[in-house]
Amino acid sequence: MKKSNLISNLITAAIFIILEIAALNMLNSSSPIQRSWFAKGGHIVMGSLWGTTQDIKHYFSLKEKNDALAMENFRLREQMLEMEAIIRDSIRVSKIRPDGIADRYRYTPATIVKISNNTQHNYLIIGKGSEDGITEGSGIITGRGAVGVIDAVSDHYAYARSFKNHGMNISARLGRNGAVGPVSWDGHSNDGALLREIPHHVVFSPGDTVYTSGYSSIFPPDIPIGITGESRIVNGSTYEIQVRLFEDFGALRYVTVVENIGRDEIQRLERNRR
Amino acid sequence: MKAAQNFNILYILLVVCQIVLCNYSPLGPYITLSMLPAMILCLPLKNSNIMCMLIAFASALAVDWMSEGVLGLNVAALLPVALTRKTVIRIFLGEDLINRSEMFTFRKNGAVKISAAILTLYAIYLGIYIFLDGAGTRPLWFDLTRFGASLATNWLLALLITGILTPDDRK
Repeated sequence: MKKSNLISNLITAAIFIILEIAALNMLNSSSPIQRSWFAKGGHIVMGSLWGTTQDIKHYFSLKEKNDALAMENFRLREQMLEMEAIIRDSIRVSKIRPDGIADRYRYTPATIVKISNNTQHNYLIIGKGSEDGITEGSGIITGRGAVGVIDAVSDHYAYARSFKNHGMNISARLGRNGAVGPVSWDGHSNDGALLREIPHHVVFSPGDTVYTSGYSSIFPPDIPIGITGESRIVNGSTYEIQVRLFEDFGALRYVTVVENIGRDEIQRLERNRR
Repeated sequence: MKAAQNFNILYILLVVCQIVLCNYSPLGPYITLSMLPAMILCLPLKNSNIMCMLIAFASALAVDWMSEGVLGLNVAALLPVALTRKTVIRIFLGEDLINRSEMFTFRKNGAVKISAAILTLYAIYLGIYIFLDGAGTRPLWFDLTRFGASLATNWLLALLITGILTPDDRK
C-alpha cells in the first residue's frame, strides 16, 4: 500500500515537473522580458555551478600542487645556500669562517608515507631510499625544526626515529650565538621539548628562539626549533628550559633529508683519537 | 450524472468568462483578477492530482492563448495550485472529505474554513503569477501591493465562484 502510494506520488511529481517546465518554456519563448530574465537567472545558476565545480577540482588537485610547492621550496633553499656560499666567497668571509655550510650538507626532498605520533617511541617512514642517495644517520628537517634521524634504509624507503622519541637528543643553541645544550621531547605534549644543561650564568628570557647548534654532525646549524618558555634550575647549576616546538608533527607531510658529507670523516677522526 | 454535466458546462462557461475578464479587465495594474484557482479548488474530489493538473494546464493554456497576456503565465502559476489542492483541503476542511470524495459546501464546512483554503491557494497562485510577471523589473513594494490588493479582491470573487460550483448551494 505504502509502496503504491510512493509510486503514485513520484508519478504525480514527475508530471507536475514536466507540465511546469512546459509552462516556463512557453513563457520563455513568448515574452522578451521573461526571456532575458530567465537567461540572466540561468547565467547566475551556471556561474555558481561552474564555480563550485572548479572549487571541487581545485580541492582534489591540492596534493599535486602541494608536491610542486614542496619541490619549489626545496629548489629555493638549495639556491639560497648556493648564493650564501658565493657571497661568502666574494667577501672572503672564509677567513673568519673557513668552512662553507652549504658545501658540507647534501639535501634531498622527501614525502612522509607513514608517521607515528602517539607513542613514547615514535617513528616515521619517508618515500626515499638508498636509490635516491639516502644513507643511515642522515637527519630529517623542515624549515620549522629537526624532525628525526634515519635509522634504516631500503631501496625506496627510509625508516627514521622521530624527534618525539625517548632518548633522542639534538644539540641546540639558545639564540643564534647563545649557550648550547641538548634538547629532547618532553615525553607527553605534542609541541613540548626540554632544553637542558644551560649554564646558570646565561641570561635569557621566555620567548627566545632555540636553533640547532650544528655540533651534532647530523643537523646543520641555525634551523629554528622552537621558543623558550618557563625554566627551572636543576642540581643548582644548570637550567632546564621548556621549549614550545614550531613544527606541528601532526600535520607533517613534506620534509628534507640532510646528509653531512663529512660525517664519516669526523667519526673516523673521533675513533682514531680515542 | 446530470450534476457532473452541469459542473462541466459551468466550468467551461467560467473559463470563457475568465478569457473575457483577462481581455477587458478595467481594474488597472494593481489588481489581477482570476477565477481559475477557485475553479480548480471546486473540481470534484474523486479526480486525482494528475487529472487536476491536466485540467488546470488546459484551462490556463486556453486563457493564456485567447487573452492578451503572456503565454504560459497562468499555466505556470496554476499548476502548483492543482498539485497542492488536496493537501490544502485536507488541512482546512478535514481528511473525511478526501476519503469520501465528498464535495465541500458553505453549509457543511462554513465560510471561514473555505475562505482559509481559498486564500492559501490564491496566495500560491498570485505569488507565482506576480513573481513571473514582474520578471525582476518591478520594485518589491509594487509586487507586494499588487499581491495584497489582488488577494483581497480575488477572495470575494472566489467566494462567488465557489458558491456557484459547489453542489449543495446550487440546489
